[in-house]
Amino acid sequence: MRRQVPLILCFVFGIVMIFTQFIPHSLSQSLHQEVRQWYLIIFPFALVFSSIALIRTHVMRIRRRTEHWRYSFLIFIGILMMVVIGVPFGPQHHVFEWLFNNVQVPMDATMFSLLAFFIASAAYRAFRARTLEASLLLVTALIVMLGNVPVGDLVWNTVFAWLPWENATSGMKQWILDNPNLSARRGIILGISLGVISQSIRIILGIERSYLGGGD
Amino acid sequence: MEKIIGIWIAAFLTLCIYSFLYRDNPFYRFAEYLFVGVSLGYSIVLQIHQGLIPFAWQPFSAAVTGGSLTGLIKLIPIAIGLLFFAGLSPQQTWLIRYPSAILIGVTSGVAIPNVLQAHIFEQTRGTIGPFAAIHAGTLSGWGVFEAILMVVGVVCTLTYFFFSIEHRGPVKWVSKVGIAFLMIGFGSAFGNTVMGRVALLIQRVDFLLNDWFGTIF
Repeated sequence: MRRQVPLILCFVFGIVMIFTQFIPHSLSQSLHQEVRQWYLIIFPFALVFSSIALIRTHVMRIRRRTEHWRYSFLIFIGILMMVVIGVPFGPQHHVFEWLFNNVQVPMDATMFSLLAFFIASAAYRAFRARTLEASLLLVTALIVMLGNVPVGDLVWNTVFAWLPWENATSGMKQWILDNPNLSARRGIILGISLGVISQSIRIILGIERSYLGGGD
Repeated sequence: MEKIIGIWIAAFLTLCIYSFLYRDNPFYRFAEYLFVGVSLGYSIVLQIHQGLIPFAWQPFSAAVTGGSLTGLIKLIPIAIGLLFFAGLSPQQTWLIRYPSAILIGVTSGVAIPNVLQAHIFEQTRGTIGPFAAIHAGTLSGWGVFEAILMVVGVVCTLTYFFFSIEHRGPVKWVSKVGIAFLMIGFGSAFGNTVMGRVALLIQRVDFLLNDWFGTIF
């Protein structure tokens, strides 16, 4: 009951979603849409539950006075700020949009831009042209970076005037992206896709059960 | 006034995060924890307004007020979703498996045809498609070279990831060529990532210099 029913549910819903996708009958399509809607209804509960789990973790941190426990209040403030405005009034409410544009978006962009510094220092340590493979990585990265900025063409156009492209580095960059890079990506995508399909079949057939967790 | 307050808050939070470049400090932690809370709150609001309200609450309330019983079927996924909260009681945690199994089953079921269509068929078509043009004689010499390079790259990359046979002899050399293609792919990804991050950095500095300083001077 505790393990068999979830396995049956997973099998039934998985099979339904596969077959309904291939059957063009209106009944099959409406069943497909209905199950998709069920998914969209159930998923927010998972998110709310995971938020409760996060809140519980931080309540424990505050109770135990662990390191940096005072900052846990900021998580509550952040969630409350967005939920109190967003849930009753909707994401189109001007206060919610103001919070999104002036609090979340700047922090999001800044967090990602912070990586520019660390990625540069990591590259300095890691990119040593010791082997042919490392040299390929280094040279490709340099061409792509130079090809992304106008100064790359300005500097290298005279040196690489013999190349078939009007602008040397941006042309070379685009050729690399469209050919050797794309072929490597296709290889990776095909490999990942085969992995996703085999893993999905294992899950639907109940061979892969790790999502059930331990216990009975 | 509302705009100026927004700019000052955004500038303060931006500087708080950049203070991490010196070292970990209370200002950075302030922004970091607030960011986690705000992002989570935003996701909750979006999920409720784009999933729960249009697909569950509205049909259900229409069924209750209008007398149409079809909306009542939405009570089933709502009840299944509520089972997640059984996780709050240690004795009833196992009930989480029901909604989880449905979510995982649907995801797996949707993934198989979609991945087959969008990734395997389309990528294979893109790889061998230019050979039809070669056959028709419409591709230039350079185009033929690019088409062959594409197939060689895909086959060699896949060979590198093929672990069912030992990489010895010709297979070893094919997989070595695959590594070369992979390195070019990783180099391109790295170069694009760096430039993307630098573009974000420029945008933030532009915000501080023009928008924020613009409110002061």
